[in-house]
Amino acid sequence: MSRALSWRAVVVWVLLAALPVLPFMSKFYLLLAFDALLFGAIAMSLDLLIGYTGLVSFGHAAFFGLGAYASAVLLERGIVSLWACLLFAVLVVGLYALVVSYFSTTRRGIYFALLTLIFAEVVYTFFRYTQTFGGSDGIQGVPPPRLVGGFAIDTPMRNYYLVLVYLGLAYLACRVLVTSHFGKVLVAIRENEDRARFLGYNVQRYKMAVCMISALLTGLGGALYPGRSAFATPDLMLWTVSGEFIIMVMIGGLGTLAGPVVGGAFFVLLQEKVSSYVDWYFIVIGLVLIFIVLFMPKGLLGIRELLGGRRWRATA
Amino acid sequence: MARDGVVLEVDTVSKSFGALAALSNVSLVVQAGQIFSVIGPNGAGKSTLFNVVSGLHVPTTGRVRFRDRDIAGLAPETINRLGVAKTFQITNIFPEISVFENVRVAAQSRVRESGRLPSLWRLPDVEAAAADLLRAFGLAAKRDEMAENLSHGEQRYLEICLALATEPTLLLLDEPTAGMTPGETKEATALIRQIASARGLTVLLIEHDMSVVMGISDRIAVLHFGEKIAEGAPEEIRSDPKVVEAYLGPPED
Repeated sequence: MSRALSWRAVVVWVLLAALPVLPFMSKFYLLLAFDALLFGAIAMSLDLLIGYTGLVSFGHAAFFGLGAYASAVLLERGIVSLWACLLFAVLVVGLYALVVSYFSTTRRGIYFALLTLIFAEVVYTFFRYTQTFGGSDGIQGVPPPRLVGGFAIDTPMRNYYLVLVYLGLAYLACRVLVTSHFGKVLVAIRENEDRARFLGYNVQRYKMAVCMISALLTGLGGALYPGRSAFATPDLMLWTVSGEFIIMVMIGGLGTLAGPVVGGAFFVLLQEKVSSYVDWYFIVIGLVLIFIVLFMPKGLLGIRELLGGRRWRATA
Repeated sequence: MARDGVVLEVDTVSKSFGALAALSNVSLVVQAGQIFSVIGPNGAGKSTLFNVVSGLHVPTTGRVRFRDRDIAGLAPETINRLGVAKTFQITNIFPEISVFENVRVAAQSRVRESGRLPSLWRLPDVEAAAADLLRAFGLAAKRDEMAENLSHGEQRYLEICLALATEPTLLLLDEPTAGMTPGETKEATALIRQIASARGLTVLLIEHDMSVVMGISDRIAVLHFGEKIAEGAPEEIRSDPKVVEAYLGPPED
């Protein structure tokens, strides 16, 4: 990626930064924007696995949920430093991800997906059916985290800017990663993992590393969630949430990073809009998704290509 | 057993799959700088021999030594890092990335950062090495093409480029001219010979096309039903009655 920050990217970031000061941005819309960016960033982290490495994780909700619980547990006990929450989330998610990625990456394809799913279900079941962390109610009513001293992230606008910074840093990290030596190997693994071994790459180590990175980015996103919602519940790690993450990546466009961000935001907004009109919103969402998969197989970002833009998928 | 100039020593290697003995007590010694060919009819055990040397199979008995190091049973990536690169009989490239990116990912396997932390953010510059290889195989003009869009012959060349980019000492070529026209085969054979000598490579070659082997090899071993039935210089092999019999069937009286 030789080009510097393109003017389009600058426009997008400026618009995102200016969003809260727009006249129609109520608190409700700000929180919606928070969700859109948060899930966009998580879909982007998952894209490292699905789009770049060709590994479909069906258990990312567990990384997200564990990050949220790690944060909520500290906040509930009066440890309100944001940094402590993030650090603790990294530890908890990192430990869990180490186990999951070690075992899952020994298998390929559908078996990898199933292993990640099963691990995630174990975590879900633990939080759902033991009372240690509130059972099905989860941890409710936690105070907002503090950035420094008495500066609490307690308004929708502060939360929004926090998640915007997270998205920006996560995007930067992912962008550097996929254009590095490491990123090139990931693409080679996606294309032909057996051949990559015969070129001297310890494929399993690369897979484990990218799983860890993706899991940690997702867990950090999760750690920001209780600050916005004041809760962490087992529902955050339900397998349907993992499925939604995959759908977000698909809608946005595999292997593009920016695509899944758009996909995640689109999914959140679509769900919110449709569900405010009808109860059976999932049918509508399903139809939209089927349409996208059938007629825009390269995702929302594929439109750029139709308009004469760049190639849709990372070439390496 | 170590001797100067021996790059590869296959020592009484057997490999069976269940009741099937794919290789029985095969031994051969490949000297530095040699082009050593292994020939034999289909099913003779040639590819099994390669898979044992390159780390895909663990031999049932026997030893494989590469430059005085026992490599039998090591993982393919470890063997590659020691300096053994393999090409595949069925083209085995990275289909949906560009020709250049194919070679790049192979070449960057040998840079200092490879497998270390800085590889997460650094992109080593392997442009020169990759461009040299592409030029040598006449692929320079195709560098931005998607690999899967190359012609069959070009994909066979890319296959060899990938192996060479990992800077091997020993190159294992599994039927490099498979599926090529006679004209392409001739050209490829000459090219392999030329590149091997220019880079000081030792080559172990599998072929069933006799015309390829005779023109290129310093030494030839013949496998038949998993056993080595002959070894020698090309002209010795050509006139060996056992070899003729294995290829053409027993003489009719």
